[in-house]
Amino acid sequence: MLKIKKNIAISDSGFVFDPGTGDSYSLNPTGLEIVQMIKSGKSFEEIFQDFATKYEVEEEAFEKYYYDFTTTLKQLRLTEPNGED
Amino acid sequence: MTKLIFERPIIQRINAGLPSKYGMAHKLEPISHIDNVSIKSLMDSYGSPLFIISESTIRKTYKNAFRAFSSRYPKVQFAWSYKTNYLNAVCNVFHQEGSWAEVVSGFEYDKAIANGVPGELIIFNGPDKSRQDLEKAIKNGSLIHIDHFDELYEIISLSKEIEERPKVAIRVNMDTGIYPRWDRFGFNYENGEAWDALNRIMANKKLDLLGLHTHIGTYMMSTDAYKIAATKLASLAVRLEQKHGHVLQYIDMGGGFASKNTLRGAYYPGTDTTPSFDDFAEAITSAFMSSEIKPDNLPLLILENGRALIDDAGYLAGTVLANKRLADGRRATIIDAGVNILFTAFWYEHDIRPVEPVSEQTEDTTIYGPLCMNIDVIRGNVMFPLLKKGDHYVIRRVGAYNNTQWLQFISMRPNVVMIDSKGEPHLIRKNETLETINSQELTPEHLKNFDL
Ligand SMILES: Cc1ncc(COP(=O)(O)O)c(C=O)c1O
Repeated sequence: MLKIKKNIAISDSGFVFDPGTGDSYSLNPTGLEIVQMIKSGKSFEEIFQDFATKYEVEEEAFEKYYYDFTTTLKQLRLTEPNGED
Repeated sequence: MTKLIFERPIIQRINAGLPSKYGMAHKLEPISHIDNVSIKSLMDSYGSPLFIISESTIRKTYKNAFRAFSSRYPKVQFAWSYKTNYLNAVCNVFHQEGSWAEVVSGFEYDKAIANGVPGELIIFNGPDKSRQDLEKAIKNGSLIHIDHFDELYEIISLSKEIEERPKVAIRVNMDTGIYPRWDRFGFNYENGEAWDALNRIMANKKLDLLGLHTHIGTYMMSTDAYKIAATKLASLAVRLEQKHGHVLQYIDMGGGFASKNTLRGAYYPGTDTTPSFDDFAEAITSAFMSSEIKPDNLPLLILENGRALIDDAGYLAGTVLANKRLADGRRATIIDAGVNILFTAFWYEHDIRPVEPVSEQTEDTTIYGPLCMNIDVIRGNVMFPLLKKGDHYVIRRVGAYNNTQWLQFISMRPNVVMIDSKGEPHLIRKNETLETINSQELTPEHLKNFDL
């Protein structure tokens, strides 16, 4: 399961700070919701269910954008290196 | 409960320190309508991508340019630069507004005649005029702007065969302090070639020398260059009168005023840097007024502006085909219009906007066209809203040079519609199809069949 590194600070407004590198980032609202759900340990299926009730989005489209987003999180090294099953 | 619009999730680095080159990143406001007509509904009817031309913007821009000159100078005439956009509907809007035609080939000349422009109101420019073209132009009483001595002698030779007297001007090139200097067209001012050409025409007596012409460059941002050019042409007019007692009827200052597009690599956007028509008009007319030309002999001032008159009226709308990520993590958005139909993407950082509402979020994006070619980049590195596959975009200020320089390459050239002053759309050029292309081709008998 994908895990966000523990030391990463995430504010309610979507501001992200990585004390390891000193870099800061901003998330858009959907990005913030996904990160918070990942942090709370939700799986892709659970996250999609939550999004599908709230937003006008098909599963295929959501999956595409979800994985594109999480790949970026990995590239930015905001996730645990061995955080996947 | 209605569901919320889903925006794709993104995360981006916040760069502390220097703001972007245009100051704070600004939101790209969507453009959903042109002249109160929905862009989406136009694409539903006419396809995607689609060129959309606003008739009322053409008329408004023309009137503004004409007013800038006619409020400062008694005799002003515009001639529509066909090569900038020679769709007949576009040309005819300019002709209805009072523009003559300015053409640079036999094909453009015939197009102007077919549109109904009287021969004597066609200015024939450029280095490429065949003997047949010249013969036709002389018989029609068109204004022939001579580019080189070979052309001058061709006209002199024709004048012995044809009854009508050729009406001519010479094109003059000169140093106006700008680079690159366009010295490949016409006769040079500084080295005396232009004066020499004028004297040979006067000595010949079979030609009617009516004017002087220059076109100092294109996308000119300097009004000073025009002032210098106008001053130099005025001095030639004065010398002609002093030496030959010959009064010129007109001076044609060409075109070249920058449009409000932003040049690639420019630091400031074109909307901030482009001089107004009033600025250019002031530079040119003040040079004439303060020259030694006698007030009674002030020549007709002709202008041949292209891009500054039509860029704003043209839009290219279309659809997002896909999003992907480049190897370095940057965003790539692929749209359905490529550089083959948007030639000006090579020169400009075009203003590209979403059609549907978007959030405040933007991402550093490179916008690619659909061609399977590496050069097909519509915009590099633009902070762009998060458009999804199927969303629509519209590119502003594409009226100049695209509908004439576009290529049929890999895909077909799309429909062009014009929205009239009442908001009615009209199809003014049909999209090409496989039949259009194949109708021009001939396959030899022995190549008609194959077995695979
Ligand atoms: C002779 C002449 N006149 C007018 C124009 C129109 O130029 P622009 O579109 O820069 O105003 C051109 C274009 O190069 C030209 O060659």
